[in-house]
Amino acid sequence: MALKQVSSNKCFEGFQKVFEHDSAELKCKMKFGIYLPPKAETGKCPVLYWLSGLTCTEQNFITKAGFQQAAAEHGLIVVAPDTSPRGCNIEGEDESWDFGTGAGFYVDATEDPWKTNYRMYSYIKDELPKLINANFPTDPERMSIFGHSMGGHGALILALKNPGKYKSVSAFAPICNPIQCQWGKKALGGYLGPDASKWEAYDATQLVKSYSGSRLDILIDQGKDDQFLSAGQLLPDNFIAACTERKIPVVFRLQQAGYDHSYFFIASFINDHIKHHAKYLNA
Amino acid sequence: FYHMDLYGSKDRFDIFPEELSGRGDRSLGDMRRESALSSKKVQRPQEVGYDLEKEVAELAKMYGLDEDREKEIEFLGGHLEKVESRRPPAHTEKAGSQGSIYNTSKSSSSVEDPSQSTKQQGLPDEASQGENQSKGRADDEAESNIWSKGGLSSGGMSDEWNSQAVSEEEEEEEEEAADVFCSTCKIPIRAFDKLFGEHKDHEVAQLPSALESEKEEIHKNMCKLEEQIAQMENVASHLEEIFITVEENFGRQEQNFEVHYNDAVQVLAQKYEEQLEALGEEKRQKLEALYEQLVSCGKHLDTCKELTDETQELFLENDKAEFMKVKSFNYIIFSPYNYRLEEFLRKEVDLELSTLPDFEERVIDISEVEQLMNSINAIPAPCAPVINPQAPSAATGTSLRVCWGLFSDDTVECYQLCYKPVSNERHSDEQAEHTLKVKETYCTITDLLPNTQYEFWVSALNASGISPPSERAVYVTAPSPPTIKTKKIRSCENAALVCWESRDLNPVDSYTVELSKLTDEENDDIITESIVGIPNCEVLIHLQPTQKYRVCVRAQNLGGSSERSEPVLIHTTGTCFYLNEDTAHPLLAILDDGFTISCDELENPECDLPVYDNSFTRCIAILGSLIPFPGKHYWEVEVEEDTEYRTGVAFENTPRHGHLGANNSSWCMRHIITPSRHKYEFLHSGMTPDIRITIPPRRIGILLDYENCRLSFFNADLAQHLHTFKSHFQHYVHPCFALETPGILRIHTGITTPPWTAL
Repeated sequence: MALKQVSSNKCFEGFQKVFEHDSAELKCKMKFGIYLPPKAETGKCPVLYWLSGLTCTEQNFITKAGFQQAAAEHGLIVVAPDTSPRGCNIEGEDESWDFGTGAGFYVDATEDPWKTNYRMYSYIKDELPKLINANFPTDPERMSIFGHSMGGHGALILALKNPGKYKSVSAFAPICNPIQCQWGKKALGGYLGPDASKWEAYDATQLVKSYSGSRLDILIDQGKDDQFLSAGQLLPDNFIAACTERKIPVVFRLQQAGYDHSYFFIASFINDHIKHHAKYLNA
Repeated sequence: FYHMDLYGSKDRFDIFPEELSGRGDRSLGDMRRESALSSKKVQRPQEVGYDLEKEVAELAKMYGLDEDREKEIEFLGGHLEKVESRRPPAHTEKAGSQGSIYNTSKSSSSVEDPSQSTKQQGLPDEASQGENQSKGRADDEAESNIWSKGGLSSGGMSDEWNSQAVSEEEEEEEEEAADVFCSTCKIPIRAFDKLFGEHKDHEVAQLPSALESEKEEIHKNMCKLEEQIAQMENVASHLEEIFITVEENFGRQEQNFEVHYNDAVQVLAQKYEEQLEALGEEKRQKLEALYEQLVSCGKHLDTCKELTDETQELFLENDKAEFMKVKSFNYIIFSPYNYRLEEFLRKEVDLELSTLPDFEERVIDISEVEQLMNSINAIPAPCAPVINPQAPSAATGTSLRVCWGLFSDDTVECYQLCYKPVSNERHSDEQAEHTLKVKETYCTITDLLPNTQYEFWVSALNASGISPPSERAVYVTAPSPPTIKTKKIRSCENAALVCWESRDLNPVDSYTVELSKLTDEENDDIITESIVGIPNCEVLIHLQPTQKYRVCVRAQNLGGSSERSEPVLIHTTGTCFYLNEDTAHPLLAILDDGFTISCDELENPECDLPVYDNSFTRCIAILGSLIPFPGKHYWEVEVEEDTEYRTGVAFENTPRHGHLGANNSSWCMRHIITPSRHKYEFLHSGMTPDIRITIPPRRIGILLDYENCRLSFFNADLAQHLHTFKSHFQHYVHPCFALETPGILRIHTGITTPPWTAL
């Protein structure tokens, strides 16, 4: 589990770094971005995991979201992993932008040829935290998770499937109900097989319906002019309806007309999300 | 009388009747005869010297006395010789004793010479004195008793004294060889007597020890006497002061007499002049009248005489015819004589006295003099007293302590203090004047109205009358304690805004707020802070968070400070405000707890509900009154799930005819129920973000943070952040609450700001 530093840049008195390591779970070299706030030089900090969306690498978030200032202020270590295994030479992995490379969908694949490498769920849930906790001044008890789009879906399912593991969860324009949308159907069908009932284990809206456990405070921001919203890929209403019924506290903010699915939208509200997590991580 | 005071006991005074000329001598009288003052000792040798010079002549004179007298003196002389022989010449007692003898002799005059002879004869006997000293002293004491007796019965009783002396002399002769002391009889006796004589059964002591105890006794007495001297000197100096006072007082009274008697004499002299003048006038008038009468009387007499002569003449006419002719009718008619006679006889002679000889009775009016005379013994009426201005702390809310004084040292029996409230109104006459009689030069008047000006003036009275009134002084009573408006207290973690109302009609000068921080310890009442000089009926007090304070207010005016108001307790745990009823929409009701608002119906069929100037007219809303203090304020609103409401903050002047959140002077969260869901809006200027909340909050936490320019809403039960307005509030805002469907809102204040609101 040797870490190899790829880059390191000072940022808001802390450091934005990128590391590379050999992932046992994914059987490939994986990179992740990590922001170490100034506070990490003197003490242990909570860790906030960011899951990016389709086509993204570890770079998108750390270069575009502009989260570092807020993370520095609140003393949060922010870890941004890649979105899928890379360089596994699986046939068809680079065929489309919404499946395979850059589209791991945060599931543990059960179908060939994906099941060996595409274990992003376990990677995010177990291997990565273990790696981070072993190599950085973290407080393993305090971690939260958030993400964008497919990463928003990943954050929600990780939080909903592991009650108590994450102190809080939030999402930007998450894919809320993948079993009902084109992206989800394609990815879940590809990784998990045609049996749609197996997909439900990775569907946030479905997971909410059976959620029980420690209280979650879910914050979701959604751009009103998000093209994927209108395309029916995100389906937040289904998730909200399920949460309303199950009394899962959600604040869903449909942001003003003009906000789309881009990182510009993310950057606009990233501070609110950092504060949201900091509130629970630093409580 | 002066001396009587000093001496108290009469016998001493009588013993020294001739030594009362000087104070030094007087103090001598205070002494017992066992001892004497040095002044006496000095005096004595002088007398002796004088006596010796004259001794021969005196002896001759002595022998020239008659037989009885001589014998008496002989007895006396012998006795004195013996007394003398038992005393050393320098013994103080001796001098005293001799002095006494001498004086007594002088006063009685018959024993003067023997005292001289005693002295003369005593000198050769000195040799035998040493051994008999103690005996002599005991004797002396016994003798002195006799002397005292003699003194008591006055100096003139020398005969009796002599006989006593004689009998004593005989007694003493037997005791010449005394060597022990009989304690029973208090005399030295011979040891032989103890065995066989009359002292056989008495207790005896050796002479030396007896001597010691006697000496001690004498020393004690000396001390006592010295004390008395000091005491007497004090008394004397005191008396001197009295003496001066008496001089002064009598001098003043003499002057007073002089003035008054002069007045009286003048008045009398004036009266005398007036009376004399009136009397003279009356006399002159009477004499004039009498003279006039006398003159007319004389005239009458002349006429009468003339007629008589004529008649006589006529009568002597011998010619009858002539006579009758005369008497004839014509004659009668034409004769001037007859006419005159007739006339005369017809005229009545006025013999009444025109005036009475005695004078009119005049009442001599001496009442004025009497009055003057009466006033002579009385003291003059006093001058007007001087009333003092109001002293600090002379006033309470209902009482005033008024003081005054006199310039002169007039005699005053009492003062008449008048007062009435000062009033600018014309009916001030209706305000009753009060009058009090006071002995002292101060008076505390009670039952007054608080914070009211009173006018005081005072006159002094004595038997002669009343002085003119003093100047009028205006005093003012302290104000009533204010009443803190407990329901109008606003506070937060760092400050409190306390307001109160005066209970007085008149304005007060200022207010003082007293602050005590309450701890769990006992000394709760320690005032930790006082804020003075508050001109209005409210004050903003800076406090420390999470403490308990007790706050009192006092009102202040020139008269002083009122009592404390009823205290109020302020907890700085969180922000406390109250609902401003004036702003309430007519359909909005505030329940008894003051923090629950309700609305039963949205439309009132009658539509004639009272609408106040400041109340909301469209939105069924009310404003709270929040403390105008920067910092954080947090409160909560408890709502029913199916109640539609708006709550948030608004400027005080937010339009009353509009909806909260519809303008730029209010920020609020709105809950409405749509057919599909609970809808939450966060309105400002009519705009809201599109926010979906999955759990309808039952308890809304509202954080107003002036410092960070934000207003945040929370689901307080979940610690869930719902929305934050970012705004630089240009003015202080107030909480606002509105109901859009029938229901209730419960407002909770005084809540500590939860930590989860921090971000």
